[in-house]
Amino acid sequence: MVRRSRLAVRIATAVALATALLATAACGGSSDPGGTTSGAGRTLHVAEVVAGQFPEEQRVWQQRIAEKFKAATGADLVFETMASAADEQTKIQTSVVSSTGPDVFVVGTTLVPVAYSTGAFEVLTDEDWAAVGGRERFFAPQLAMSGPDAQNQIGVPMSMRPFGLVYNTEMFAQAGIAGPPRTWDEFVATARALNRPDQGVYGAALDYSDGFDPWKYIWTFALQSGGRLVSDDLRTSELDSPAVQDAVAQYFGLVTEHGIASPDSISWKAPQALAAFANGQAGMLAMVTPTAVPALKGSAVDGKYAFAPMPTVPFGQTAVPAGGIAAGTIVSGNDMAITQYSDNKHLALRYIELVTGEEEQAHYHEVFGDIPANQAAAATLAKDDPQVQAFIDAEETATPTSFTGAWGDVQIGLTNVVTQSLSGLANRTYDPAAVARLLAEADATVQRSLDRQRPN
Amino acid sequence: MTDVTDVTAAGAHVKAPAGGPPRAPARGGRPGHISGRPLWLMAPGAALLLLVVVVPLALAVWIGLVDLDQFTLRDWLGAPFIGFANYLEALQTGGLLHSIWVSTAFSVLTTVVIAPIGILAALTVHDPFRGRAIVRSVYLIPYVIPSFVTAVVWRLILQPDGALNSMLGVVGVEGGNWLIGPMAFWSLVLVDTWAAWAFVYLMTLAGLQTIPQDVYEAAAVDGTNWWQKLRFVVLPQLRGPLTLALLLSTLHHFNNFTLPFVLFGSPAPTEVNVLPLNIYTTSFQTFRFGLGAAMSILALVVLVIPAILYLRAVRLESGTGEER
Repeated sequence: MVRRSRLAVRIATAVALATALLATAACGGSSDPGGTTSGAGRTLHVAEVVAGQFPEEQRVWQQRIAEKFKAATGADLVFETMASAADEQTKIQTSVVSSTGPDVFVVGTTLVPVAYSTGAFEVLTDEDWAAVGGRERFFAPQLAMSGPDAQNQIGVPMSMRPFGLVYNTEMFAQAGIAGPPRTWDEFVATARALNRPDQGVYGAALDYSDGFDPWKYIWTFALQSGGRLVSDDLRTSELDSPAVQDAVAQYFGLVTEHGIASPDSISWKAPQALAAFANGQAGMLAMVTPTAVPALKGSAVDGKYAFAPMPTVPFGQTAVPAGGIAAGTIVSGNDMAITQYSDNKHLALRYIELVTGEEEQAHYHEVFGDIPANQAAAATLAKDDPQVQAFIDAEETATPTSFTGAWGDVQIGLTNVVTQSLSGLANRTYDPAAVARLLAEADATVQRSLDRQRPN
Repeated sequence: MTDVTDVTAAGAHVKAPAGGPPRAPARGGRPGHISGRPLWLMAPGAALLLLVVVVPLALAVWIGLVDLDQFTLRDWLGAPFIGFANYLEALQTGGLLHSIWVSTAFSVLTTVVIAPIGILAALTVHDPFRGRAIVRSVYLIPYVIPSFVTAVVWRLILQPDGALNSMLGVVGVEGGNWLIGPMAFWSLVLVDTWAAWAFVYLMTLAGLQTIPQDVYEAAAVDGTNWWQKLRFVVLPQLRGPLTLALLLSTLHHFNNFTLPFVLFGSPAPTEVNVLPLNIYTTSFQTFRFGLGAAMSILALVVLVIPAILYLRAVRLESGTGEER
């Protein structure tokens, strides 16, 4: 009987979270109503994902912020650190269902549309924006992922992680290559020039088994050539369009046709690709963020690398074609969103104002490597650090992903296309018909999600 | 022995052995008592059962009938009722049948593989020998290691540049990609076999210790060899605990989420997209809680089959076990 009970519980767990959630102790702020200036006796709860590379530094940073917050408001600040983005997503789901939980969630920019679609987060007013320093405090592209439009924004930029390209300057010099590629054809040509498979060195490091990078490549190739993953009116999925099919083919072609990456890269995730570059086994690494800098310090390529924006001209072109977008990176980073059930909105705004201030943003960069979302802080840092400037340049090519609650299905659908093709890619081949079928399935799934969209 | 019958003041007939004290009178007429048993003592357990089984199950059934997703999650009690649409979608487009097939094949195959390993391991440490306690402890290592740790370690081992391919390279065998494509299924079976055989070992060892010594002695008098002893003495005596072990093992493999999730991530290769992974992705990554609930209910129907076998094995389905 006990076994049967456990069995039934396991089966029901996926859907019965609501029950457990209702029993979850409220960990949101205090029950005191109102939003007074003094926060004495109150507690603000902030949920964020653990900084995988810097867990101890994160703990110290949290303590620092808590002390500053206490000094400024009189209120206590408690961080709830999630083990992964998936855990945080589950935490959001449980909090939304039970209307209890953290006051503020720090979420990745691509999760903001999904969070918005739940209708459980506070839409910020002009007064709210003024309270956190004004919209002008932040890089404009980052605000594109704060909400569907300027009147319906829920996310305040916390940090900026534009994707760029890092390349081995020593290998470039030895090969007589003047600078980083500006087009994807140049990228392939450069990588081929650097390829030394017999020495275990390849022109580029790729990570086909990563959970995020593959769909970003496909998104990049599709948008640059004029395609879309979701129509601009957010009503139609275009995952099985010729542009997306071509984008998948181009992404797979990097290993099947051009052979510019190690065969092992088929099973690599982002950290392994970064390790290959850090060990001098790859000449270039695309889809890299500023958080790579600490990993490269002290590595075999220390002092021999530089960052640059990603190529923005699609394959077969010398300029962005008509209808194409010079999308070098998605709008990437972390946003902060205040839950509607929170009765600590005033404190939440004070917290956001604190951590997005110029001083704290600069400190955050020193600790974690992320580029400040605060324009002034980023500009100050860029004066002395060309790496920061490179990523600020990359941010100029930042393009927001479609702001729809169905975006999660887009990511999973494209990742699944790549996942199911890995065994073929390991042999430097793939089945275009199978890819087309997988894209069609993903397209149907995304379309069903788009059809279910409801206004908040 | 002859029984006599007393007639109590309440009129109940109580049998008592002759010469012995009369038994306490039956009080079946009192609320909460049947045949003299104070069933009300089961109330806390029943309440717990209601809370952790019945209520979530009822919720799962209900959620499977509504359109609960990211757009309706906030007002989840008001999610639109859509009848059996989720069930239809699960059967038509959710990859449910494929996942059920993968889970069934994986669980049955793994159980078939670990059964002889567990039995043989138990036989090796049944008879006393110097250092037996140490060997028994070593056998338990795979069982006591958390599933998450097991999966992480094996994920490292099975990487293209991992320990397995390195070892194969030493003996001149070319390795492969163990975590993608068709090989992923066999990798999952391999890792779960490593992690789970000790359960069969434990159950078998427990069963071996219940076999009376005189049975072995009788077999020895009959001049049996080791195989005949195993085939005609040991295995028949182990049929009960072994059947139970294999059924529980099959159910455990079917429901295994941690191992495939950590080994392959999500979305997983089709070859290892087991049912728990599919339901997790559907429910928690794409927010289709209604669809995930429908898949869970359909999975429950599938699991009822071995569950019934399990209940029969422990003789609880109709209380027959108590009468024997």
